[in-house]
Amino acid sequence: MKTKELVKISGQLNKAQEQIDAKLAKGEDELELDFSEATSVSVEGLEWLEELLLHAQSANSKVTFINVPPTIYKVFKVAHIDQFLQACGGPPVSGPVC
Amino acid sequence: MVTTLQEQDTTITDSVANLTRQARLAAAVFTQYSQEQVDKIVKAMAVAAIENAHIFAQAACEETRMGVVEDKILKNLVASEYLHNQIKNKKTVGIIREFPEDNMVEIAEPMGVILAIVPVTNPTSTVIFKSIVAAKTRNSIIFSPHLMAANCSNLAAQVLYDAAIAAGAPKGFITWVQKSPRLRRETELMMVHPEVDLIFATGGTNMVRAAYSSGKPALGVGAGNTPVYVHKSTNISSAAMDIIISKTFDNGTECPSEQTLIIDNEILPALIAEFKRLNCHICTEEETAKITDIIRDPKTGGINYKLVGQSAKTIADQAGMNVPSDTKILLCELKGDIRQHKLAIEKLMPVLGFVGVNSVDEGINRSLDINYAGGTGHTSGIFSNDDDVVERFATAINTGRVIVNSPTSMGGLGGLYNNLNTTLSFGCGTGGGNITTDNVGIQNLINYKRVPKRKNFILTFQTTKDIYINPGSIEHLRNVKTKSAFIVTYGSAAERGHLSMILERLPSDCRVNVFSQVGVEPNWGTISRGIEQMRGSQPDTIIALGGGSVLDAAKIMRLFYDFPELKVKEVAFNFLDFRHRMNEFPRELPTQMVAIPTTSGTGSEVTPFAVFTDEETNRKISLIDECLLPNIAIIDANLTKSLPPQVTADTAVDALTHALEALVSILATDYTDGLALEAMRLIFEALPECMKNGANIVARHKLHNAACLAGMAIGNASVGINHGLAHSLGARFDISHGRANGVFLLTTIGFNAGIPRKFLPHSAYTEYVADKKYARAARFLDFATQKDGTTTQDLVAALKRGVYDLLVSVGQPTSIEELGITEEQLELAIPSLIEATFSDMSSRTNPRLPMILEIQELFQKAWPKPVRP
Repeated sequence: MKTKELVKISGQLNKAQEQIDAKLAKGEDELELDFSEATSVSVEGLEWLEELLLHAQSANSKVTFINVPPTIYKVFKVAHIDQFLQACGGPPVSGPVC
Repeated sequence: MVTTLQEQDTTITDSVANLTRQARLAAAVFTQYSQEQVDKIVKAMAVAAIENAHIFAQAACEETRMGVVEDKILKNLVASEYLHNQIKNKKTVGIIREFPEDNMVEIAEPMGVILAIVPVTNPTSTVIFKSIVAAKTRNSIIFSPHLMAANCSNLAAQVLYDAAIAAGAPKGFITWVQKSPRLRRETELMMVHPEVDLIFATGGTNMVRAAYSSGKPALGVGAGNTPVYVHKSTNISSAAMDIIISKTFDNGTECPSEQTLIIDNEILPALIAEFKRLNCHICTEEETAKITDIIRDPKTGGINYKLVGQSAKTIADQAGMNVPSDTKILLCELKGDIRQHKLAIEKLMPVLGFVGVNSVDEGINRSLDINYAGGTGHTSGIFSNDDDVVERFATAINTGRVIVNSPTSMGGLGGLYNNLNTTLSFGCGTGGGNITTDNVGIQNLINYKRVPKRKNFILTFQTTKDIYINPGSIEHLRNVKTKSAFIVTYGSAAERGHLSMILERLPSDCRVNVFSQVGVEPNWGTISRGIEQMRGSQPDTIIALGGGSVLDAAKIMRLFYDFPELKVKEVAFNFLDFRHRMNEFPRELPTQMVAIPTTSGTGSEVTPFAVFTDEETNRKISLIDECLLPNIAIIDANLTKSLPPQVTADTAVDALTHALEALVSILATDYTDGLALEAMRLIFEALPECMKNGANIVARHKLHNAACLAGMAIGNASVGINHGLAHSLGARFDISHGRANGVFLLTTIGFNAGIPRKFLPHSAYTEYVADKKYARAARFLDFATQKDGTTTQDLVAALKRGVYDLLVSVGQPTSIEELGITEEQLELAIPSLIEATFSDMSSRTNPRLPMILEIQELFQKAWPKPVRP
């Protein structure tokens, strides 16, 4: 039986979120990160998200992003990191897309 | 440690990947920043640069062994303090410009990741400048320094980055390539890296060319070769000082600095004497030859870079000349043809050429010689107190900057001597192989998103000012103030008694001339004769008495009588935009015009249209402008009582077509809708009665008013495809306008009531409502019987049936076949009919854009006699 946990990201995402890392480490099958209350994301936040997605992949877990505000969704687009867009439900892309 | 080539390649690739990834993430994060956050970061960076200006300058001079510390400090301050002053209040986030008149705004979008090439001549000031403009525009920037200046450039980058991070900038938004033998290779890889969005190249020609060849968008600079014309009107001592300031600035490393002076011979001795007094050395012919030998690289033919930024004394020593140690500039006269002279090139050192000239023309031509010897698009200068000379010089010369009465090097930098944008990167336009002639800055590092809101098409309602509308209103002529009237009318106006009705009512002291040669569809020859006669009689009032042809002819005669310099071809051509027409008409016509229609059809007395036939091309030419509107219209039905039934029906069907087409026009408004509907009601009510009893003045009155109301409707909403079809058919087969209109009515109503294959694009037309409007007309005209349904389609069919019944009841043809045209004749004519219809102005306000095949179908469908809908 797969489990799915919803976690909210609030305010500025500017560092690693250890409680979320811990959930993943506990072996949750699916994590849903709700960005509805997130206001912005920093480079450090992006780096942590990327790492989280890599860990999830290696642990055979799934992390999805939901309710991503346009400003943050645009950051994901400009960052050209496939995993972010896939976590938002998008298809895999290769390389920068104009 | 020894590394293999493969290991070196891996290292370079890793380094490039790391730098571009940092920059990419930072660029992404930067998109979220507000103007306030950005301005805080920019200020912190500028302050850090100001505080470290001295350290940076010293580091640059020590590492590059070029230039002057004191001048490099000034450059660093210009690139920080002056730049900050210029851009601190500029908007670079969100809406950056508004254009209320155009209903448009511009929103800034960062460009992303910039690869910045830094030159050896300005290694720290360029880094300061580019870092600050990148931050201001929310871009991340990767610096590729010059190998000979990498340490000082990267020091400046580090200091500014630290200040920016402390002020909240995204991590990694400034990065740089470390000094190493692999620097050039790393730069080349980054130039083609997919994560680099823009190359901002300031440096040597080869590096700029490489940037442009990378396939990336690039901002580059061109080579300079600055000519400076010193006109005799200048203040000699002031010019000499400015030139010395400029040419010695950082030992001449600034590319906008003076390269050759073109001096009026009248002031040449005095200016040279002043240079000498201020410790410049005037070289002999022999010394000039020595300098020429050492400053040109014999291998490349270009400049000897070892002498770039060196002092005059050092250069003189190398040339084997003996000059005092405080010598500021070495001035070399360029004798002979300067186009061939080896010193007529860019010399980034305190060596300055000069040549004497005898006139302004010669001065400009010699300046052009220097300008086009490797400096197109860059910088030029002029010293003159004669504004005409300055303008002539600036018009002729091809440089992005024409510096007036100032040092060209500091003048080119902007901010110190003028209000040019402060820059360390001089766009040279196509002359220098660049995309811009700007002093490159924040404006070049933004993607501009234009947000135009839907154009507000201003609709208006204009018509003839005074309209007298009841039977007997011809009496108003007694009140018209005129001393000299010119009556334009038709041949039988006297016979029908119309002319005497006018003449009897004009003031007794009014001189009257009559032109009664206007027939059906007048041509330019007739109109010209009328104008000629008008000029002979010099009227203050033109009275047009007759049908639409007479009224139109009189309107055109009045226009060309009042404005004889106008040319028909200049005012008579088609247009798409009814509000901003290219044809320029006079605002108003001084001669008064009274229009008295004797038919109930065109409504020309209240429209801004006038049509005539061009006998050369046998095509109808339309003039359209509000100035053509008559001043007074007299709608007196007594003048239509004697109209034959056939003409009554023909002209009334024209008026009905006007009403139907104005109703569904893309320019229809509430104003024209009311007029169109009421015109239809009056026509359906009065036309059958007029046909039975032409003397029925009440019916005639209603029909006359209907034509005028429909005229006002088309005067503002225009007509549609039905008129386009009728114009081409009428002209091809010589069919009267009203009859030609009538045969298309059923097919065009059906055409417009259907779902268009193509909508006609117009900002004023927001919803396709032609079918609903026809339905509305059917309801208004009470056509729907109980048997009919109430859907839009049912009501459109009811309208078509009403139109059909009216045409049949008054003996009007309902098909092309009934006009006596065979199907074969029509088929043969169709190609030319299609062309004429498609280009007809009338079709341009029809709600449905007629496709060429559809026009063909409309002709073909209109041929057979229709079944009653």
